[in-house]
Amino acid sequence: MFKAKTHSISHKLTWMNMLVSGTALLLACAAFIGYDMVTFREAMVRNLSTQSQIIGSNTASALLFNDPQSAANTLSALTAAHDILCAAIYEPDGRLFSSYSRDPRRDSPPLTIAAGQTESHSFKNRDIVLVRPIVFQGKPTGIIYIRSDLEELDQRLRQYASIAGVVLLACLMAALLVSSVFRKAVAEPIVGLAEVARIVSHDKNYSIRATPAPRRDELAILIDAFNEMLAQIQENEAALRKAHDELEQRVQERTAELESAKGELEAFSVSILQAKEELERASKFKDQFLSTMSHELRTPLNAVLGFSDLLTEERYGSLNDRQQRYVAHIHTGGKHLLRLINDILDLSKIEAGRLQLAIESVPVRTSFAEVADAMRPLAEKKSHSLVVNASKELSVRADAVRFKQVLMNLIGNAIKFTPEGGTIELAGRQLGEVVRVEVRDSGPGIPPEEQQRIFEAFYRLNQTEKMVEGTGLGLAITKRLVELHGGHLGLESQQGSGSCFYFTLPSSPGFEAEKARTSGTALKTGETARILVVEDDLTAAHLLQSHLVAAGYGVVLCGQPERALEMAVDLQPSAVTMDIMMKPVNGWELLASLKSDSRTARIPVIMVTVVDQPATGSLLGADEYIVKPVEKTTLLAAVQRCLNLRGRIAPARPILVVEDDVSTREFIAELLSKQGYVVSVAPDGPAARSQVATSLPELVILDLILPEVSGFQLLAEWRSDPRTAELPVFVLTSKDLTPKEREYIRANTGALFQKHERWQQALIRQLQRAVPPVPTEKS
Amino acid sequence: MTRFHSSASDRRAPHNRAFNHHPRLWQCLTAIIVILAFLCFPVLHAQQPRPNEYQVKAAYLFNFGRFVKWPTAPTAGKDGSFMVCVLGQDPFGAILDSTLAGEDLDGKRVVTRRISKPQDAGTCRILFISSEEETHLKEILSALDEEGVLTVSDMPGFSRRGGMIQFFMDGNRIRFEINLASTQNARLTLSSELLKVAAAVRKSAGPGD
Repeated sequence: MFKAKTHSISHKLTWMNMLVSGTALLLACAAFIGYDMVTFREAMVRNLSTQSQIIGSNTASALLFNDPQSAANTLSALTAAHDILCAAIYEPDGRLFSSYSRDPRRDSPPLTIAAGQTESHSFKNRDIVLVRPIVFQGKPTGIIYIRSDLEELDQRLRQYASIAGVVLLACLMAALLVSSVFRKAVAEPIVGLAEVARIVSHDKNYSIRATPAPRRDELAILIDAFNEMLAQIQENEAALRKAHDELEQRVQERTAELESAKGELEAFSVSILQAKEELERASKFKDQFLSTMSHELRTPLNAVLGFSDLLTEERYGSLNDRQQRYVAHIHTGGKHLLRLINDILDLSKIEAGRLQLAIESVPVRTSFAEVADAMRPLAEKKSHSLVVNASKELSVRADAVRFKQVLMNLIGNAIKFTPEGGTIELAGRQLGEVVRVEVRDSGPGIPPEEQQRIFEAFYRLNQTEKMVEGTGLGLAITKRLVELHGGHLGLESQQGSGSCFYFTLPSSPGFEAEKARTSGTALKTGETARILVVEDDLTAAHLLQSHLVAAGYGVVLCGQPERALEMAVDLQPSAVTMDIMMKPVNGWELLASLKSDSRTARIPVIMVTVVDQPATGSLLGADEYIVKPVEKTTLLAAVQRCLNLRGRIAPARPILVVEDDVSTREFIAELLSKQGYVVSVAPDGPAARSQVATSLPELVILDLILPEVSGFQLLAEWRSDPRTAELPVFVLTSKDLTPKEREYIRANTGALFQKHERWQQALIRQLQRAVPPVPTEKS
Repeated sequence: MTRFHSSASDRRAPHNRAFNHHPRLWQCLTAIIVILAFLCFPVLHAQQPRPNEYQVKAAYLFNFGRFVKWPTAPTAGKDGSFMVCVLGQDPFGAILDSTLAGEDLDGKRVVTRRISKPQDAGTCRILFISSEEETHLKEILSALDEEGVLTVSDMPGFSRRGGMIQFFMDGNRIRFEINLASTQNARLTLSSELLKVAAAVRKSAGPGD
């Protein structure tokens, strides 16, 4: 294909050359020969004419004197002219006068000819015929006819043709030569270029170049341009390849990134799942924590408050003024702490969505009265006048306890922030479908910029004149409580003209049973020693409640005996009083279920009834049996007995607390006593030594750092003595222990507690494990 | 390629044949016309009266004038005409006049004249001597000596006797012979053409000399 093409190009060149030169030559020859033929023919005609003229003039006399022989003689001279075929002389009238033929058999002149001829010639059948009048001295004397063949012309033509052929041949040879030169100059570079182009297109090899032409001509420009183009293509291709490689690399990088991102994403989703699980677990822990905390925090605080309260009662001896003041401080601090804890727990519960409301119809006026009674002492302390204003039929749908909590919070705030001698007004009114409750004070008012923020948790009004105690949570809880009820808490205040906190609650169409309300109210009290009063008769219940509350007990009323077991499980009261004649569950049944349930079996039960069957009560596990009508002293004594019974442990040997710090010693003693253990104390080593020597204790709680004789010394002595080698010892210390000491203690004692940790519960747990409390005994 | 060419020429061939046919047709027609013309010719020829002897001789007289060059002629006629004279009895009659009427010779108007005496022939260029004057020929010729007059006669022995051109009958044809010596004596130059058509040319003087 390629070879054929190159052949075709050089062939074409050759052919072109030869065609051009041949055509030019042929045209030139033709023109030349044509021209020559024409002129030659004209010359022939002229020659013929001349001949005829000569013959004519030479035959004039013959004509004139009628001598054909003479004319024939003259004509016969034409034998010398080979081309003359025949000739004739005619008289003026056209009659043949004399004739001549070179070959008579072939050619002969016509016998007559038209008279009055002018000179003319014509070509007939490859002959020239010339007719000419013979004029002698201006007179037409005759006519001459002469016919010549064109042999000479043909001969000449043949000669020309042969010459032209030779010249043509020579020219073509020359053209061939020239074209071979051209081929070298033109075709070869093109062929080379084509070869390079073929290689380039076939092999995609852009690095080769066409050989540059030696001369500067269009071909050289073409080759240069081609080479330049190749260079550009090469460059472009290189750039393209580079770009392609880069792209590929980038694609790979991106793919890798994507894969890693995918991996990260998967890992992330796994971690999210883990986080979710952790969150769920944490949420579960939080719930557990909240429920634990409500006990764990409140229990010791209750102890603090209880003890301090006990102290103020001066039951165990009179206190001087200072003692009184301190105990009051303890009590106040404890109460504040309790409130704070309660608030935090409440808020946490609300935030966690775990606060459940016991919605019922609550008479507003009653709640107002109760709250006002509770708050009045506080108000009176600051000489405030507390005004309550609510119509009797007004009631809301709310949790009664929470409703009163809200009211107390708002009134407490009003009391706190109103300067002495102010007025606090509590008012409620129907407002369409809702009840609007307002707590208005005559305080300094709240600046607008603080009005929104005061509802945030831990926010406290910027009061400089006097630091007011409070948790900073009250309003936040209040707001959330109101909102939980489906209401709205708001504030209208102008600086200098007091504040008005208001909230709305859905109104309730009517009253509910009184007992439902009372059962609710009872819940708030009695953390110190809660007595669950199961009594479906309201009057009896109230009587019992007033006696017990007056004696300082917390009372929880339960008007629905079917719920009593449930409440006992929840509340874990110190004692339960119950009637027997109740519906739908009677007292016997309830007593049996309480005593048969492990969670409530150990709660003392006091039967308060008109049924005089103490034996049955004993049989069924009742701890006390009081027959109505209830005497206050009898009741309280029975309760006291029950409480004592529950707290009393009667071991043969006491728990020895060796502690030099008085308060700690006292606290541990109280803690253990409360758990029902008998406690003896030793303030230092020698005392402990002597006590153990005289009477072996059940267990020793030993501090390591003691005056005179250290705990390690005591321990070593006791372990070396066979009598005391097996004496259980718990170590409770604030000392930083070396690993060696720790090892020693672990080997020689039953447990190690460190004071900077939470040791109390652990101690008690361990103690209970080591020394079970003595079972209760009946009095 | 070759096939295409040949087919093209094949296609052209019938046309060529057609063109060749037509000239032949015309040639046939021409031939027929020519034959018809020849058939008609004898009829036309026969209708023309055959020229008599003196008609031809009159024409010859004129023609002689065309081939002869006269010396500068002091003998030219007074009126400058070219005189053709007949001496003696005129055999031509009116024929001569009609033949020569309106003709020119040597740039002059030809005029015929009849003379009776040789002395009158001084102004003549061509003198036809009647055969009736045979007896006086010697005198006539001598009278005309060196006068530059071309003498013509049809009397027998005329050129032999010193005359210049003598007619004679050669069958039906009228021919003539020339005495070149006589013409040279008369200082006349005769064209070779004339000599060529003469039946005989006598170069010596008359035998009588």
